[in-house]
Amino acid sequence: MKKNILARAILAAFVAVPTVALASEAELLQRIEKLAAELEKVKSELAATKQKTDTVEKRQETIAAAPASQGSASGAPQTVVTGYGEINYTHPTKDASASQTDVRRAVIGIQHRFDDKTKLVSEFEFEHAVASKDDNGEVEVEQLYVEREFDNGLRAKAGLFLIPAGLLNTNHEPTAYYGVERNFVETAIIPSTWREVGVGLSSTLENGLTWDVGVTTGFDLTKWDAASEEGRESPLGSIHQEGQLAKSRDMSVHGALNWRGVPGLLVGGSVFTGKMGHNTADFAANGARLTLWDLHTRYTPGRWDLSAVYARGNISGVDALNLISAAQGQPTPVPSSFAGWYAQAAYQLWKSGDYALSPFARYERFNTAKGYTAVPTGLEAQTGPDEKVVTVGANFKVGEGVVLKADYQKFYEDTTRNRVNLGLGFAF
Amino acid sequence: MKSLHLATLAATAAAGGSAFATQYLTVEQAQRAMFPDATRFADASLQLAPEQMRQVEKLAGLPARSVNWRVFAAYRGDALLGHMVLDDVIGKFELISYAVGVNPDASIKQVEILTYRESHGFEIKSPAWRKQFVGKTAQSGLAVGEGIANISGATLSCTHVTDGVRRIAAIAQVMLKK
Repeated sequence: MKKNILARAILAAFVAVPTVALASEAELLQRIEKLAAELEKVKSELAATKQKTDTVEKRQETIAAAPASQGSASGAPQTVVTGYGEINYTHPTKDASASQTDVRRAVIGIQHRFDDKTKLVSEFEFEHAVASKDDNGEVEVEQLYVEREFDNGLRAKAGLFLIPAGLLNTNHEPTAYYGVERNFVETAIIPSTWREVGVGLSSTLENGLTWDVGVTTGFDLTKWDAASEEGRESPLGSIHQEGQLAKSRDMSVHGALNWRGVPGLLVGGSVFTGKMGHNTADFAANGARLTLWDLHTRYTPGRWDLSAVYARGNISGVDALNLISAAQGQPTPVPSSFAGWYAQAAYQLWKSGDYALSPFARYERFNTAKGYTAVPTGLEAQTGPDEKVVTVGANFKVGEGVVLKADYQKFYEDTTRNRVNLGLGFAF
Repeated sequence: MKSLHLATLAATAAAGGSAFATQYLTVEQAQRAMFPDATRFADASLQLAPEQMRQVEKLAGLPARSVNWRVFAAYRGDALLGHMVLDDVIGKFELISYAVGVNPDASIKQVEILTYRESHGFEIKSPAWRKQFVGKTAQSGLAVGEGIANISGATLSCTHVTDGVRRIAAIAQVMLKK
């Protein structure tokens, strides 16, 4: 527009020449030069305006395009390093000489996303600080699986993964549970951290129901040592395979349902079953089968955190095996049933900035040898009474990732185990 | 010109949609879900001045985190129905993209999860959990354990999305309230 006016002005100036015929040539030249200078000025102003418009347009485009990248992995790192760990101090109140401090576990995890649908999840664990031929520590691969998601929301995974049993197994970081030590039901009955190698499928429905199914390795009953007390502490913990040259003649299956349809409430259950003999030559319990199931719930209204778990394992087909060990006078036959439950209440009493203090109390009742199959009179093993444990203490959280813990545990059957625990845990 | 941008945006978002298994909603679908009566959506992206960021931080009790916020205004004719604010937070390890619908009075109208990639906590997208935010403001009940219930096994994802919504509620209070 401006250009147009200018052109007309210039034209008019030239057209006007005859009418100002008397004006001197010098005057005319001066006027033309003045006009030319003005033209240059307008030209540069125009260029500046155009540049400004371009910038604004470009910015608008950037702003408009930004949400389009929403959901792309562009902002998300492809490889994430995670970790958790705990350092615990235990002081048996009736035997101070047995007090112990332990770097219980240090875990490094690496998650790598190959693409939008495929990721690798891995966790590597060091237990008890030092692992060597002469030390008690262990180095373990705790998780190592690839997960792929499909368009219909179905998730498939393959590799070494956690069995979705109970509340603790899939949420076992020290920041996720109350008390210095993990509860007994989810260590002695459900052998947390329990992982198997295999394939699994899962999906979450709109109504808050998540289902899991899988086919995996299971337990190896040939590892049962009737001469040792280990099977008394944790029947399944003594025969688990953990992906280490795992016998795979007999595979196990599992399924879990978890419903979180009401905010703050979780109700769920799981079942895991499989044979454990692996068709081993000269083994008396090749038909032995384990079935472990659990029911669990957690409710977190406001500052309360209430939870309960019931877990029960049954082992069938071990009569002949138990008869042999009984005849040899060995003290620990394979139990036909083991079970336990706990109820726990925690309350966030105080919170200030990053700090939060949550006292809790837990009552547990469990029995790792609730029943044995019948053997001839005189050879029966004694089933023990249910152990009952009360744990009272507090978790003191520092931000989201660090927790200091203190508790007292009272055992009703074996009171020599009464103890005070202190712990430091973290997870990121 | 603006409508052209929106069309491009919608097309890009829709095209992107099929690439993400975990993308539940595109930006355009979220707009329609939140403001079904809207006749048009206009870009209303925000830039917070330092003073406004301070106000947001005070209201939300959280760092304001970003100067730039992607916002759309929803109109029915000339009447403003509300705004939709887009945001991402890290859940436990992965990015969660979500959109918050805000009423003209700065209360929360709706929360929609656009993408979720964590291995746990998919229940965050369940209507029952998201409904807890409706009608709340930066000053009332927008915190896990204090108005918003946790999802067991996905505490970090719940906390981070809830904190994000509270921050957006504060931004709405400072910048968008009519």
